[in-house]
Amino acid sequence: MTSSNFVMPGDRVSSIEDLAKTKRVILGPGLRRLDDKVVASKAGPLRHKEPNTFWVDNYQRRYVPARGDLVLGIVRAKAGDVYRVDIGSADVATISYLAFEAATKKNRPDLNPGDMIYARVLNANADIEPELVCVNSNGKRGKLGVLQDGFFFKCSLNLGRMLLRENCPALGALNEELPYEIAVGVNGRIWVKAHTPRDTLGLVNAILSLENAGYAEIEKVCGNLTEVMQT
Amino acid sequence: MEKQKDEKSGNEKLRQMSCEFNSLSRCDGSVMYSQGATIVIAAVIGPVETKTQNLCIDGSYLECNYRPKAGLPQVKERIREAAIRDVLELALLSESYPRSKMSVQVQELEDRGSMDACALNASCLAMLIGGLPMKYSFAAVHCIINEKGEIVLDPDLSEMQHQRASFTFAFDSVEGNLLLIQTKGSFKIAEFNDIECLCRAASAQIFEFYRSHLANYHGRASKETATTPMEET
Repeated sequence: MTSSNFVMPGDRVSSIEDLAKTKRVILGPGLRRLDDKVVASKAGPLRHKEPNTFWVDNYQRRYVPARGDLVLGIVRAKAGDVYRVDIGSADVATISYLAFEAATKKNRPDLNPGDMIYARVLNANADIEPELVCVNSNGKRGKLGVLQDGFFFKCSLNLGRMLLRENCPALGALNEELPYEIAVGVNGRIWVKAHTPRDTLGLVNAILSLENAGYAEIEKVCGNLTEVMQT
Repeated sequence: MEKQKDEKSGNEKLRQMSCEFNSLSRCDGSVMYSQGATIVIAAVIGPVETKTQNLCIDGSYLECNYRPKAGLPQVKERIREAAIRDVLELALLSESYPRSKMSVQVQELEDRGSMDACALNASCLAMLIGGLPMKYSFAAVHCIINEKGEIVLDPDLSEMQHQRASFTFAFDSVEGNLLLIQTKGSFKIAEFNDIECLCRAASAQIFEFYRSHLANYHGRASKETATTPMEET
């Protein structure tokens, strides 16, 4: 990932156009094609990932579903053979009764309105409701499924994405302090569970203190996490 | 920019602008924006689920609410609300979120002149910070001709009491096209053209303000972007 220029809606990004002449490029969120021009539609720093992916990394709080995303959802209602789940997007998502491990038509999962689930987005399209699953392609639940107990809070989408990066130092730094369980959704929702309420609140404060740290400062902030947790 | 301001006479420069992003916690993007002593808070929510009666299958529904400082919105506020919605509809890339609703709330905190322009600029900034897709950003500028026939750009309340004609223009950031014209009072065509040129020049300052503050907010030194503008001219 390389840092790059700041773009505003309507700005033409000629660096991508040049690259597109020689090979295929992938335009992510915040960029669109207008005839043979590439134009930004959001304000934010332009990011580039080798070899050919571009997107605008703006600070956003509303989640837009994308296929393969891991999200935290709250069950809102039962409707026929699906549950309606709130994942913070424009539309309410659905999850089938059969999208859980070892579920059959006879053996339905026991979910009630208000339950929290950790799920993967199976399909996401602007024109239809997003659909979730709680199993992988082999029918195993893995880390997905219903989350019991614990504490749930919301944060910005950037923080969720940052914690889910492969080499994020924050979760490791917290793990040195105390044992805990965490589920992070890219929809800006986090669920944590520790042994005592005091520990849980400490964790929440520590995670929220990362909110305004950029990719660069995160390691510095991680050094102070112990102090944040004590207060 | 500072130097340019000093060269111009006091009547032909914009008042001090300032803004604060995401001061409200429950919406998707908010901005507290001020031009001189005129202050507004604008907030956006979207895309969210819409009522079936407003549902549009090939674009999103845009809702705009303008609240005065005290009391309920009256005719004056409704007109302002409609003006904001008209401009936002032009700028918003509504086809990217079909069947959804975008909601813009503008709350007046202090009206000390040029309220229309200030509300429009605040709603543009709120859309940008909320991450809603747009074709271009826009800037609105207010200007009056006073009784002596002098042109006053971005007047405050005391200057507005002696006006012969009042103008509000909104321009887009890409081609500089006019998005909105509001005029009141009597003026000559030549005066109108002069004022349009003046407002167009002033809108560049506002776009520069948007860019530097948003770049700062996204954790990037504004100096870096100022030296490498990517805007097509």
